[in-house]
Amino acid sequence: MSSIPSRRLSRASSRAESTFSFHSLPASTAPLALSSPAVTHRSEPSDFVRRSNRHKKIPVDVRTLEYLEPCDSNLVCLICHCPFDKAVRLACDHVFCNDCVDQAFAAQEGSAPKTCPTCRNRVDLNREPLPVPRILMSMLDELRVKCPNHKAGCTWADKRSDAQDHVELYCDHAQVECASPDCRLGVLQKDFHKGCLHYTVSCEHCHTSMMKKDLEQICPNRMTICTSCFIEILRHDLPSHLKEECPKATIMCPGSVCGCSFAHERTVVVAHVTTCPMATMAPFFQAQKARLDEQESQQKLLQRKVDILEGGLSNIQNMLYPANTNPNEPCPVPNPLDPNTIDYASGPLPGTPDFRLPAAAFPPASQPTVDQATAAGQPPQPPFDSSTHHLLSLHESLRDEVSRIANALTDLEGRTNMMIINENQRVKDEMLHTNAAINSMRMQLHWLTSARLQAQNRTTGGGGPGSSSAAGGSGSSGSGASRAGGNGGGSGSAGAGAGGSGLGGGVTLHPIRRLSDSNRQDTKL
Amino acid sequence: MHDHLPPGVELVKADEFTEWLMDIKVLDDNPLYRNEVYRLKFRFPNSYPIEAPEVVFVKDDTHPIPWHPHIYSNGIICLDLLDRQGWSPVHNVESVCVSLQSMLTGNTKKERPPGDENFVKYNTQRPRDINFLFHDNSV
Repeated sequence: MSSIPSRRLSRASSRAESTFSFHSLPASTAPLALSSPAVTHRSEPSDFVRRSNRHKKIPVDVRTLEYLEPCDSNLVCLICHCPFDKAVRLACDHVFCNDCVDQAFAAQEGSAPKTCPTCRNRVDLNREPLPVPRILMSMLDELRVKCPNHKAGCTWADKRSDAQDHVELYCDHAQVECASPDCRLGVLQKDFHKGCLHYTVSCEHCHTSMMKKDLEQICPNRMTICTSCFIEILRHDLPSHLKEECPKATIMCPGSVCGCSFAHERTVVVAHVTTCPMATMAPFFQAQKARLDEQESQQKLLQRKVDILEGGLSNIQNMLYPANTNPNEPCPVPNPLDPNTIDYASGPLPGTPDFRLPAAAFPPASQPTVDQATAAGQPPQPPFDSSTHHLLSLHESLRDEVSRIANALTDLEGRTNMMIINENQRVKDEMLHTNAAINSMRMQLHWLTSARLQAQNRTTGGGGPGSSSAAGGSGSSGSGASRAGGNGGGSGSAGAGAGGSGLGGGVTLHPIRRLSDSNRQDTKL
Repeated sequence: MHDHLPPGVELVKADEFTEWLMDIKVLDDNPLYRNEVYRLKFRFPNSYPIEAPEVVFVKDDTHPIPWHPHIYSNGIICLDLLDRQGWSPVHNVESVCVSLQSMLTGNTKKERPPGDENFVKYNTQRPRDINFLFHDNSV
């Protein structure tokens, strides 16, 4: 049946788990019995002992063996369709592999008594399965199989019962533990005497690293023979040898790039090259072509850069002059000719004529740039030969504009400073005026109080010249008084005169003082 | 084994070990099945042959579903051999085909199982999950 491989797989996987519960006798005991005479063939028992120790004790899976000739169908298990492996018999005389019948029983429903897979007779697990007749065992043992390592190169083929021994003891292609005690990897028996090969080497020809043991099998860089000139050469070097050295390899004339169709063995071609004009020109053409290619790739790169920059620039322009994209909306840049622009009204110091100058200086600079931008936005008549030129000029104009703006800003700053200084001067003057006024007022007040004090002193009788002289001193202290102070003094003297008349006698001294006072003021002014 | 297929059994497609197609014919002159070829689809579980394969008839333009009181019109076969209890690991594709051939040969009734319409309409189960009740021992 062609479903055998899948069965083998399932069996092989279950094998690992199932211990040889019962009847481990048929297949495994027979090889052991045969192994003792086999040892005598070996010249070195010590080698055998060492080998049996280092060999990985993996039992040969009989189901994976390849048989030399097709097996008699009577020796085939009906469940796995392989020749019986550890054959067992049921009471009904049906024979199966030990593992197969175990699995079949396990699949049957637990409570019900087990039945023979073929005839459904009940099976008594205490008694069954039974051993098979010896003749069947011998027939199975004598089936001829290939070595399980035959894919690795082993050519051994003999009785199935000897397969285990062969693999364990004699097969040169069996995996054994490495000679180095520290190394846990496996190595083929035939390479065992070479010592541990499980170190990474770098193949000096193909420059890949691989394990030493793989060098011979995997590395393609073994010696080979050139097909053209029959010299011995490393396989890895063969392509370059054919391409560059081999005198017999057929090559094209180097002038083939410019049309020469001459092709012959290398030695002939070398002679041909001396006369072929195309071959002499070829290097020149190739250099030109390389340069052209290089230029083209550079141009592509530049084109991409220009595209990116242009996109960025148009973005910037849109941000700077959004209204230009929509002609219906008023331009946010102040028009210098329009006196009603809001900027003037909202200026920090309205009415100061200096402030209009920077604003008026800005738009003439920006105006041409805007024109350029709008012109560049119209693809039908680009004003520049190439996009690079266009870009450069745009960049230039932008830079001009920026410098103009900077100039305007410094100008503006200077003017503002000047204006602030002027205003400060004016304010200072006004403050001086006010100070003077205040001073004259104070003097006036002093004069009044002193006049009053004098009047009081006189009424009390004890007129003190000290107090009158003090009043005169205070009067002279207001020497820097203005005309207004003089006026105030005049009115004050009038009031004092009225007060003096109201008070009665002793009024004669007053007018004299007043006169002297007013005289002094006149001389001052 | 397929070098020597029994008469009336043909392998159509066996590309991998999950699904096979087989054609079977009824060899004798049963008027119900004369000149007709039926296509069987085998689906093998991972544990095959310990577990039974899933076997159904497939309907297409040239391959009808045979009339049988144990074969539903959607191709599901009610046969103890294909059920968990009836299966034995010694069976194989060939023996299943021969069993089905003989099951058809012995039939004379052109009918479907009782409740076929409802079953076909509402069944969403895989054949392996259906609990058949094997009552008819005559086939």
